[in-house]
Formats: sequence, C-alpha cells, structure tokens
Amino acid sequence: MRRDDLRPAVFGTATRDRVLIRLALSENGLHVRELARQIQTSPNAVHRVVIALERAGVVVSRPVGTTRIVLLNRRWYGAVELRALLERLASAYPEVDARARTFRERPRRIGKPL
Amino acid sequence: MTLADGAALVDVAFAACTVLARAGETAVLCGGSAAAYYVPDLYQSLDIDFVVEVGAAPHVVDRALATLGYARVAEGYYRHATLRYALAFPIGPLAIGREFVTSWRTDRRADLLLHVYTPTDVVRDRFLHYWAWGDRTALDVALAVARTHAAEVDLDAFAAWTRRELAADASYDPSRIGRFLSSLQ
Repeated sequence: MRRDDLRPAVFGTATRDRVLIRLALSENGLHVRELARQIQTSPNAVHRVVIALERAGVVVSRPVGTTRIVLLNRRWYGAVELRALLERLASAYPEVDARARTFRERPRRIGKPL
Repeated sequence: MTLADGAALVDVAFAACTVLARAGETAVLCGGSAAAYYVPDLYQSLDIDFVVEVGAAPHVVDRALATLGYARVAEGYYRHATLRYALAFPIGPLAIGREFVTSWRTDRRADLLLHVYTPTDVVRDRFLHYWAWGDRTALDVALAVARTHAAEVDLDAFAAWTRRELAADASYDPSRIGRFLSSLQ
C-alpha cells in the first residue's frame, strides 16, 4: 500500500477500507494472511483491523485448522447496505478488485495440476 | 451482592443485570445465554451475553460488575476469580438480523431482575445462526426453545420476520425456514 495514497479512508483508515472491500468481494471469506497478501499490507495490521471490526459485529471469524477464516457478518443489521456500499467502493480500489478476480474460490481436487 | 461459589448461569445473569440496573444501565440477556436461560437442560453456555444500551459508560459497567467480583479482562469481557461464567458485552444495539430489538421480557426473583430476549426472539436469533451459517446446533436450540415454550413463541411473527429478511437479502435459503417449521410438527 502506498503511503501517498490519496483515496478517502471511508472507514477510518485505508487498511480498514481495503479489508472490508476485499471481504465484500469474497463469498467464502479469507484467512488473515491471505487477506493481507491480497491487499498488500502486513498480517499484523490486518489482524488489528479484524479484531476491531469483529468487536463491532461487522465481521465474524471461524477457526479452520490452525487459522481463522474472516468474513463479513451477514447477520449484522447493516450487512446488506454495507455490502452494497463496499461493492461500489471497490471501483475506487481497482487493484483490490483485480486481485480478487484472480483469486480462486472454487474447490480444487487434491493432486490436480495447475 | 455476593455470588456463591456454585452460582449457576441464571444466578449470575440475575445478579449482573440487577447491579447494572441499579447503576442506571439497562442490560439485556441475549445470544446463546438467553437460549440457555429458557432451555437450561438442553443447552449451556459459559459466556453470559448482555447488550447494554448504546452510550453506556464502560467505567460504570466496570464498577457495577466489580461488586460481584467480576473484572474486565478485555474490551467488553469480564471474568470472575472463581466462577466459570464470563460476562460478555457485544456492541449493541440489540438486533436480530436487520431488525432492532426494542422490547424484551423482564423476570423477577426476590429483589433481583433480569431483562432477557423473549422466547420468540431467542428462536429468531438461534434460527438466524442456522439460516446464515448452516449451524445445526443453533437450529436444534431454536427448535428446543420453540417446543419448550410453544405457548410463548409467536410463529406467525417468526414467519413474517423471515419474509422481511428474505425481501432484504435474497441470498438466504428459504428452504431452511420450511425445515425449521416442519421439524416443529
């Protein structure tokens, strides 16, 4: 993430914006490291944002193996409106949108070559 | 007020709600602990979830709960030195899906009180976990509350609420409503 990024931090910080936008572009959620890789920031920074957003009820996480999958909380009272806003905001973050488009969410059979 | 070493979830819930009420804060028992309140033999929770009114001052909550021996160990999370039950305070407002909860039941026990979700709201809340995430445990708890408190659960209101949620978010699977209702029969 560039320090001279002039895009507005609608949700307080650029990292928050990117985390939320990237999660809105995911059907199944992402683990923190992948989320950090996708928005090109550090896992620690993403972890801090996730904790704050989870406390607010906006995102949820669930353990999968030794990691946690983070996703938007569809039970949250503003979930529908938030998702619509984030999908709109994604157009202001084409690099996040572009990475999301190349990230495979569908299943892959074990042993299948690339 | 002191809590006995063997205090049960319901004892802690009444005590916490009462000391908060005396401090001027309205706290409503919700989530899985509200389900545990209605079907204690079928479902237990070690976290006692309360939502306090938006704007409640943390230091007021801290002081009130300290009188019971609870200390804040994380934001919105309190532990007791000997009791296994933790007190959790998710950020409000009280809501189930898209709808805010603005009324609740108040039970009394001697000079103590407990604000708690109605049985209908517990059913909505637990069912929504199943509806949103496919959580079968939550479905079973919703069914248990609906069966155990059949006279108090308004299934017409439940059905109307599911229609409103579906209208707002068409990605919810309507067949899960049918599975819930048919399992009740």
